Amino acid sequence: MAAAKTRASSFSRNLSTAAPSLGPGLKCGPNGTVLLSSGIPDLDKILGGGFSLGSLVMVMEDAEAPHHMLLLRNFMAQGLVHGQPLLYASPARDPRGFLGTLPSPAASKDDKSRGPEPDQEKGLRIAWQYKKYFGENQLNFDGQRDGKHEYSNEFNLRNPLERHFFNGQRVDCVSIQDSPDLSILQDRCTTFLSQLPRNDGSISCAGRIAIQSFCSPQCVYSNMEWEMLSFIRSLKNMVRSSNSVAIITFPPSLLSPSFCKRWQHMADTLLSVKAIQDDDKELAQLLTGYQDMIGFLNVHKVARINTQVPVILEATTFSIKLQKRRYLVLECLNQAPVDGSSGNSDGTSGSCSSSSKTGSLDF
Amino acid sequence: MAKSICTALREGALEGELAPALTIKDSIASPFGLQVFDHVLSQLFSSILAGKSPSQGLILVSFSRSPSFYLELLKNKGISVASSDKRIQILDCYNDPLGWKDQLVEISSTVTVFREVKHMDKLFNSIIELGRGLVGGGKIRFSISIDSVDEMLRWASVSSVARLLSNLRSHEQISSIFWLLHSDLHKARVTAVLEYLSSMVASLEPSHQLANGQRGDLENFALIEHNSKNGKFHVRFKKRNGRVRVMSEEVHMEQSGINFTPLSSEGAINQGLVPKVQFNLQLSEKERIDKANVVLPFEHQGDNGKPLQIYDGRRSLVDSKQERAVAVEKEESDSQRGEIIYYRDSDDEMPDSDEDPDDDLDI
Amino acid sequence: MNQRSSNLLDEALGLDQAIEPWPLRGRVVAIEDRVETSGSFILHHLLKRSLSRNPSSVSIFIAFAHPFSHYDRILRKLGCNLVSQRDNGRFFFFDMLKLRCPVGDEGTTPGGGLIALYGKIHKTISALPEISQKNVSIIIDDLSLMEVAANGSSDHVLDFLHYCRTLTSEFDCSLITLNHEDIYSIEDGSTFLLQMAYLADILIKAEPLATGLAADVHGQLTVSNKGRNKASNFHFKVKENMVECFYPGRSRD
Repeated sequence: MAAAKTRASSFSRNLSTAAPSLGPGLKCGPNGTVLLSSGIPDLDKILGGGFSLGSLVMVMEDAEAPHHMLLLRNFMAQGLVHGQPLLYASPARDPRGFLGTLPSPAASKDDKSRGPEPDQEKGLRIAWQYKKYFGENQLNFDGQRDGKHEYSNEFNLRNPLERHFFNGQRVDCVSIQDSPDLSILQDRCTTFLSQLPRNDGSISCAGRIAIQSFCSPQCVYSNMEWEMLSFIRSLKNMVRSSNSVAIITFPPSLLSPSFCKRWQHMADTLLSVKAIQDDDKELAQLLTGYQDMIGFLNVHKVARINTQVPVILEATTFSIKLQKRRYLVLECLNQAPVDGSSGNSDGTSGSCSSSSKTGSLDF
Repeated sequence: MAKSICTALREGALEGELAPALTIKDSIASPFGLQVFDHVLSQLFSSILAGKSPSQGLILVSFSRSPSFYLELLKNKGISVASSDKRIQILDCYNDPLGWKDQLVEISSTVTVFREVKHMDKLFNSIIELGRGLVGGGKIRFSISIDSVDEMLRWASVSSVARLLSNLRSHEQISSIFWLLHSDLHKARVTAVLEYLSSMVASLEPSHQLANGQRGDLENFALIEHNSKNGKFHVRFKKRNGRVRVMSEEVHMEQSGINFTPLSSEGAINQGLVPKVQFNLQLSEKERIDKANVVLPFEHQGDNGKPLQIYDGRRSLVDSKQERAVAVEKEESDSQRGEIIYYRDSDDEMPDSDEDPDDDLDI
Repeated sequence: MNQRSSNLLDEALGLDQAIEPWPLRGRVVAIEDRVETSGSFILHHLLKRSLSRNPSSVSIFIAFAHPFSHYDRILRKLGCNLVSQRDNGRFFFFDMLKLRCPVGDEGTTPGGGLIALYGKIHKTISALPEISQKNVSIIIDDLSLMEVAANGSSDHVLDFLHYCRTLTSEFDCSLITLNHEDIYSIEDGSTFLLQMAYLADILIKAEPLATGLAADVHGQLTVSNKGRNKASNFHFKVKENMVECFYPGRSRD
């Protein structure tokens, strides 16, 4: 955790000044990569700044909980706020309707006083884990360097995104339910990505592809395992050569074990979400803030583009919380409180039971 | 025992009999099949050259290794290829089995390239043709070796491979035949089919079985290392008289080649890990604990809160000072039931000596 | 520095004793990894070793996994410039990211998919000057993606590998492949991994430690060298400019 944090912040500060011109919502990452935000500031920090352009992110769904939708919503909403092109594919009949459920950024129209003093933002660099103490109004200072665009926003899950964000022309929605094979989706992806070619130098715009529940059983092709794998491979390669990030969520239990592993190997960044059991007394005792948790997020693999060094996080399991029922927050469960900089809001209480926690939450 | 295989192959078939056929079978845990094959091949070929065999020539069908490898191998065994040119022919199914190559440089006159391995009938004809070219027609016999049935099975059905082998066995000009099989590449039935077709089965097994799925484990590493050099070699002969003879040997891989040693004597010396005996001389920790926990029916169990006392043939030193030569149960209050009073014959007799008291009895 | 620190891996492969003749000449090296522990760093290591061993050595890289820029950046950090090697005709990069074998017909038509790829490799080697022909390494990253490109026909991939292997006997070149161990299960009846294990002269397994990943130890390697009847096992840590290999508990050496 700590390593990822420091690296993330140092890279974003050191390189962004010297970097070639980048469009809104983009920043330089390590090894010549360019990052965009996942829409969840905490997740960006965990991953070392965000998702790398050209990477394929795969999220393993929990069959019992819709937490992957939270990740998708924030990812998509963040892109729309930045005016980035979006391709959304879903097994639902009317995928466009889903856009109405996207959260709106908390920055401008919040009921709370959101008038941050500019000098305070510029002068201070606060360890991210303390940000929550300042209230959500200051969460976005990281990206507000120029005062124009923020790299990442905090999203208020209770307020829907304003329509003008997604009525633009660069938003494409596909229903994958009825198509007999994947060629339609393949074509849509190809067309979508062709407007985002990768060339050296400045990157003005980056696209986002979000594919929800890719192998869900109502899809006609869902028993064609090699075809799906082949699609993922070609999507991965297309994304790699364009300025975009693709997220695919899938329920792993619906795949055969061998193919599930193959899918996991395909992913550049591999995440999984897990439901939390309701009224689990044992867990409630072990974990502080159990009442606020709605689930867990696991980071299995972090993209290593242009490098051979694996990213080893200090913690791989995080709790998903809804702060004030509005804001998606990720907190570290098993922390190393050496320097007291743990990500847990109640860092001291968690440390004593950290080992037993990891054991019980080993999934 | 490896010798007896070679003898059987050398002597070949009697008139009107099916040719002796040997399956050499290994698995990945003990993958020395190729080395055994090489051993058998060079033994058989040198006896053919020496004229000790009714077979006048050898056809080698090479699937898994290049013909030049075999020429080199025979040369290393001290068999000059040039002089043996008229005794061996290699049917090259290795270099271009599917006809992907446009042109091929023929290495020598010994080698004939075969490009249609999917057709077993054509393969049969080529083998026979090659053999006839080698020894001439009539009743002169020749031997056949096939270095991998696995490759054949990949390209053709089990039944067609079985037909090929059985046709070869029953061909009047064929003296003996042997082939190599990696048994774990196939279903159990395939192995059974090939064993059914053969008159001898030589199988290689690891000298230490590893628990499944722990192949890379550090604790097993010593065993893995051991298994990479040593193995067990079992042979089953189906004898003419209807009996089956089973024999076992040890194989050791050495830099110079494969080495066979008798199982019992050398086994204990050569491997420092575990003595090679059929019964256990030592108990494992668990066995020892289990043994200690067994309640023997005749033991005083120390109930009634009294300390446990077991008569061991002599009193402890303290007791024996007071009651020399007499060993009596002390718990007289308890001894309402039957009791045995034992008087030692004399003091100079060792307590409970192993000597047979009736030794001098003259019956 | 690199020379010294990677000794255990090089030792296990026999690269420490003599660079000439190249110990991997005519050999098949199979690398197997898992989701938790990527083995691609071994490919990079071997690519660097095989390019730097002598001025006439040639590497043919068949990439199904990443574009050229990815490898270029990594190898540059390892101290090897792929662009200049490519310009010198010592590094051939076959970008197979878009390869899809025609469905049906099992690729029996020449010119389709993997047969064409084989033809390309063969042509490349044949066109090399005499001295370089004997010093070729063929590296494939990775076989599981090749299977996907072949629409799941692992037999077709095995045929391709067989033909690549004939190159090892024809030209004495080495064949180095990467594959994933955990995508095959015995229950499926898939024998691809076993076939590779039989095919390989040297088998390298990259696995996570039983205790999970750590910042100081990224995993363990088990190298079984059939040619020398030797097996070795050690831990590793991947860095940008090298791979550190050490026996368990000696990471500070």
